Amino acid sequence: MNLIDLQIKKIKRNKQLGLMVHAVVGYPTQEKSEMLIRSLINRKVDFLELQIPFSDPIADGPTIVRASEKALKRGTNTDSVLELIGKLRGDIHIPVIIMAYYNSILSYGLVKFCRKAKKLNISGLIVPDMPPEEEDRERFIQTSFEYGLYPIRVVSPSSSKKRLEINTRYAKGFIYSVSHFGVTGSGVKIGNDLVGYINEVKKTVRLPIAVGFGIEKKEQVEKLNDIADIAVVGSAIIRNYEKGGLNRLKLFIKELKEGTIY
Amino acid sequence: MIFNFKTLYDGDTCGHFGQYGGRFAPKGIFSFQTSYDGDRNGHFGQYGGRFAPEMLIPALEELENVYIRAKKDREFEREFMSYLTGFAGRPTPLTFAANLTRRLGGAKIYLKNEGLNLSGAHKITHCIGQAMLAKRMGKKRLIAETGAGQHGKAVATVAAKFGFECTVYMGERDIERQRPNVFWMQRLGAKVKPVSFGTKTLKDATNAALKDWITNVHDSHYLLGSTVGPHPFPSINRDFQSVVGMEVEEQVKKIEGKLPNYLIACVGGGSNSMGLFYRFLDKKSVRLVGVEAGGRGVSKKGGHAVRFSGGKKGVVEGYKSVFLQDRYGNLSPTHSVSAGLDYPGIGPQLAHLKNEGRVQFTYATDREVLAAFSLLAKTEGIICALESAHAVAFALKLAPTLSKNKIIVVNLSGAGDKDIFIIAEALKDKEWIEFLKGKSHL
Repeated sequence: MNLIDLQIKKIKRNKQLGLMVHAVVGYPTQEKSEMLIRSLINRKVDFLELQIPFSDPIADGPTIVRASEKALKRGTNTDSVLELIGKLRGDIHIPVIIMAYYNSILSYGLVKFCRKAKKLNISGLIVPDMPPEEEDRERFIQTSFEYGLYPIRVVSPSSSKKRLEINTRYAKGFIYSVSHFGVTGSGVKIGNDLVGYINEVKKTVRLPIAVGFGIEKKEQVEKLNDIADIAVVGSAIIRNYEKGGLNRLKLFIKELKEGTIY
Repeated sequence: MIFNFKTLYDGDTCGHFGQYGGRFAPKGIFSFQTSYDGDRNGHFGQYGGRFAPEMLIPALEELENVYIRAKKDREFEREFMSYLTGFAGRPTPLTFAANLTRRLGGAKIYLKNEGLNLSGAHKITHCIGQAMLAKRMGKKRLIAETGAGQHGKAVATVAAKFGFECTVYMGERDIERQRPNVFWMQRLGAKVKPVSFGTKTLKDATNAALKDWITNVHDSHYLLGSTVGPHPFPSINRDFQSVVGMEVEEQVKKIEGKLPNYLIACVGGGSNSMGLFYRFLDKKSVRLVGVEAGGRGVSKKGGHAVRFSGGKKGVVEGYKSVFLQDRYGNLSPTHSVSAGLDYPGIGPQLAHLKNEGRVQFTYATDREVLAAFSLLAKTEGIICALESAHAVAFALKLAPTLSKNKIIVVNLSGAGDKDIFIIAEALKDKEWIEFLKGKSHL
């Protein structure tokens, strides 16, 4: 059974909102990135999303763009990312999901990448620029499944009912719902618009819902309790780390965690 | 007496009143097809497609649907043509380069002078077309990326004309190189937003524009400026730009009574080259040559933008094509004396045409380009853009190797006025530098 499913069962049992935290691997340096990720997993978060930095990350806002640039400048690449995950793997007891742009995987070789990811006990892949319409030619979803990786499907408020159906047809684990019209790290109000849209998603697919993009405060996480199953926090982690290092980051995660048992 | 009354201002037998009126005869711009077209998902052989984040797919579908409807609508073509003739200044002339031809002593050289379009380049053509589609979709705002500023200026132009708000993203490095176009875009009412991440050039401006579109997709249209990006952009821009080749075919047949032997165009993303080539793709006697930016030479990593020398297959910015990238798929830095050609990707249909052997590719170095620019100005009286001078540079090599009965058509995609600072610097023009120093005291 995929670790994602086990973790979701656990969350449901505990009647709490899952917390998925995100890090750009190699940011700010390979060593410090390791410490940053360790500090995240030590705070009992539920899912870990690790991003392979890419030169042209079209769905990301300025915070993750800058972090990716920094990581690339320091020589981070797909091999070094997988190496670091390998180093950490023994200490991570939660599902790890790799977020990457498709070109990083394509240039590495889809099968080779999936094989390595499986060896590293990775649970899923989030590839924002790999829509189901290209599946016939690319065989990304199929190959992911062959190696036991859940290709996490992403939906957004602009998705029509038909697109929700297309996107969720092969979904497993959970659905990643982009919270609003915007890129990562651009703040979002948890209000009626979001509730309405998440309800639409729920009508189409019976899978847990993760909400991400612009989640940066405990209050937002608290509100997500009634709407979703998992809160995803990315850019805000980098911003807190930049403002006050690991100490501030620990406090921030602690605060978010409090929000999940609201 | 009612029906035989005449005035000086009546129409001719076909109902033309001066430049207006007449019976509109569709040219079939939007019904024309070739054997190299994409499938219904915009795949050209192994390239193309729509590798966009979910946030943008509905907008791309909307654009595709409105375009499919417009293609079948005669009124759309009529309106498009009337903007091209009445606003942009089409058709542009096909000029026989008599002096240059004599000097080189080989094939006859014709110049398709796209620099005479409103806003100084071919870009206005697809901007008019897309602005018409944006109107049909009820959008209020246009977003664009620009490299040399030519596309940005054309977008700002149509935004003013059609009444859209307009934001143009431009890399900081390109702003430095193409200040005059920034100034004109602002005069046309556009907001020019500098892009300070990545390589600070065209590819990063494209990234920034895509992010703006993701955020404002409900009221904004992304007026992408080349035959690149996710489906349907490569096909839409190609169709609009195909009027260039359509005019060339008519003009050259009228002058020479036959088809040309060679068509030459510079290639960044591909809008001017696809525009020139498209109508000729299935006319196999016409050889098609694309000229990439050789920069400081292809042996220098990061010193050029020759995708077909060192580039490999990839998926970036929403489409599959050939990209200059490192082994991990990150785009490589590029260089060219012209800001419009230093883009690490190339239109998917061009990549397919290269695979099929239908279009040959070569490159011209910065040095060759500056020499070609200067020679063209002095022999033909045309100051062309540095981008277009790449095509001229190859024509200078090719013409002397061909016999005098052969015909070459070179696409001069834009005018060179915008390049005044780069060219003055490259030619080390002392008087100009003194002039700038004097101005700097203002």
